[in-house]
Amino acid sequence: MVKLLVCDSVTKKFGGIVALDKVSLEVSKGELLGLIGPNGSGKTTLVNVISGVITPDEGRIVFEGKDITRLKPHRRVALGISRIFQGMRVYPYLPVYYNVSLSARSVYKDARLARAKTTWALTITRLLAEAGELPINLTPYKLRMVELARALVTGPKLVLLDEPFAGLSPSEIDEVIEIVKKLNENGLAFIIVEHKLRYLMKLVNRVVVLNEGKKIFEGKPDEAVSNEEVARVYLGVL
Amino acid sequence: MSRLAFSKPSKLKRVGSILPALFIAAIYMLLPTFGLRGFWLDVLTRVNIFLLITLSLDLYSGTTFYLNLGVPFTVGCAAYSLALLNRYLGVPVEYAILPSAAISLVLSLVIFLPSLRVRGAYFSIMSLLLPIVMAGIVTSQPFSLYLGGEGGITYSPLFFSYARGLPVKERAFFLQSTYFYISSIAAIIAFIVSYKVAYSDFGFMMRSVGQDELLAEASGVNTVRVKLVGFLISSSLASFAGSIYAAMRPPVTVDVFIPANTLVPPLTAVILGGMGTIVGPTIANYFILLVYEALWDVIGRWRVVLYMCLLIVLVLLRPQGIVYYLYTKLKRLVSSKIAELTAGV
Ligand SMILES: Nc1ncnc2c1ncn2[C@@H]1O[C@H](COP(=O)(O)OP(=O)(O)OP(=O)(O)O)[C@@H](O)[C@H]1O
Ligand SMILES: [Mg+2]
Repeated sequence: MVKLLVCDSVTKKFGGIVALDKVSLEVSKGELLGLIGPNGSGKTTLVNVISGVITPDEGRIVFEGKDITRLKPHRRVALGISRIFQGMRVYPYLPVYYNVSLSARSVYKDARLARAKTTWALTITRLLAEAGELPINLTPYKLRMVELARALVTGPKLVLLDEPFAGLSPSEIDEVIEIVKKLNENGLAFIIVEHKLRYLMKLVNRVVVLNEGKKIFEGKPDEAVSNEEVARVYLGVL
Repeated sequence: MSRLAFSKPSKLKRVGSILPALFIAAIYMLLPTFGLRGFWLDVLTRVNIFLLITLSLDLYSGTTFYLNLGVPFTVGCAAYSLALLNRYLGVPVEYAILPSAAISLVLSLVIFLPSLRVRGAYFSIMSLLLPIVMAGIVTSQPFSLYLGGEGGITYSPLFFSYARGLPVKERAFFLQSTYFYISSIAAIIAFIVSYKVAYSDFGFMMRSVGQDELLAEASGVNTVRVKLVGFLISSSLASFAGSIYAAMRPPVTVDVFIPANTLVPPLTAVILGGMGTIVGPTIANYFILLVYEALWDVIGRWRVVLYMCLLIVLVLLRPQGIVYYLYTKLKRLVSSKIAELTAGV
C-alpha cells in the first residue's frame, strides 16, 4: 500500500544547530499521528519541511508516491497538505470569510465551487455567524477555528496542526478534538504537534518523539508513556 | 465591518451607489461646455492623468504593502519611449502611445524583480533608486546627446497636425478640451478597473500577501503570481499615464523621473486617502492636487512644506486615511437615506 506521506532521513541545519537530524517518518491514509518532544526539538521545523515553508538540506519528502521535496508550499496545498501555524496566525485586516475563501479560490479555479467549499468549512467550524467579522473581534478559540477552516477548505488529505490546543480552555480543547475526530472518521490524516500530552495521547493512534532533532521513539501512545528515554527527555513531565 | 460584508449587495443598492458617481462624472465631463477654459482646464487634465499614477500606487502598494517608490521610473520610461519613438523612428505620437506604454511596462519589471527576494524598506529603497539613476542618466554624457539633455525632447503634441487645420482662434481650445476629455475618460476607466481588481478575489489575494505573505503562500496562494499580475496591472496604469502625459505636453524632460514631481503628490493622495481603498485615494487625488495648484497664488513655493507637514500630522493621527474614513461615513448616511426612501417599494 502506498503511504500518504514519507519523510526519508530529513536533515535541516540552521547555522550550527541541527534542527532535524536524519528524521524518517511515515503517515498512512487516515492516520492520527502525534508529534511530541521538548522545546526546540525540531517539531515545528519538521512541519515547515513537510509544508514546504523551508527546504531540507538532505533527505526527501514523498506525498502519495510523488517527490515533493522542492515543491512550493502553495502547490503542496493543492496536492492535499494543509497546515496551521504555531500561535494564532490569520490575516488581521480581512474578514473571516476572506481569511478562508482565499485559500479555496487559489485551489479551485471554479469560483462557485470555492464559494461552496468556503461555506462548508465555515459551517463545520461554526463560524458562519462570524463570517463578516474582523479577526480582532474574535476569541482565541474562534481564531483557531478560522485557522482550521482555512486548512480544511482546500480539501486536504493530510493536515498538520502545530500546537492546536495552545491558549484554549479545556472545554474548547474538547471541541477541537471533536472536530478532528469527526474529520478523521472521514479519512483525513493528521499530524498533531502538542505539548498538552494529556489530551493528545487520548486522541492519536501513534506518536513520534523528537529530541534535539533526532527521532527517539515511535509507537503507541501508552508505550511512549512507559518508555524510559521519552520519560528522561521530558524530565518527568509525562 | 458589517456582518455580511462579503455578500453581494442587492441590485437596487448597487445602482443606488453607482448613480451619484455617474452623475458627478457627467457633470465633470461637461465642464468645458459650461465654459471652463484656460489654466484650470489644463490643471484638471493633469490631475486626471495623475489619478492613474495614484491608482497605480494604491492598487499595488496599498494592497500588497510592497511600497513601490519606483513609479516615476515607469512614468518616465513611458514618456521617454514615446519621445524616442517619435524622434528616431518617426512614429507620430498618436500611434506611439500604446507601444511606449508597453515598452515601459516591460522595463518596469526591473522594479518587480527585487520583490521576489526582499520586502519592506529594502524593496522600497531599491525601487526608489531606479528613477534617481534614470534622472542621472538622461542628463549626463553620453546619453544626454541622444536623450535631449536638460532641455528634453520635443515634438508635435497629440492631434496637433489636425489642430493646425483649424482657425488660429480655435486651436488652443480644441487641444485643451480634447486632452481634457481623453484624460477624463482614461481616469474613469482607470478608476473602474482599479476598483474591480482591488475588490475582487484577486484583489483580496494581494491583500493577503500584504498582511502575511508566508501564511498566504503556506495556505495555497501563489504569491509570486499574485504579486506579478498585480504589479503588471498597476504598472500599466502608470505607464499609460506617462505616455499620454508626454503625448499632450512636450517636451519630455528629466522632470518626469524626479520623485518630487511624479511620486510625492500621488503618494500623498494614497496615504491621506487610505491605502488600498481606491475610493479614498481617488477623492484625495483631486482634492490634493487642485488645492496644491490653488495654493501657488497664496503661498508660492511654501506649499510643498505645508503639504509635507500636513502629511506627517495626518499619518500620525489617522494612518488608515482620513478621506476614506469620511467617505464611509458619508456613504452610510446616503445608503440609510436610500434604504429609507426604498423602504416602501
Ligand atoms: N528559522 C530558523 N532559524 C534559525 N534557527 C531556527 C529556525 N527555526 C528553528 N530554529 C532552531 O531549530 C531548533 C528547532 O526549533 P523548532 O521550532 O523546530 O522546535 P519545536 O520543537 O517546534 O519547539 P517548540 O516546542 O518550542 O515549538 C531550535 O533550536 C530553533 O532555535
Ligand atoms: Mg514549535
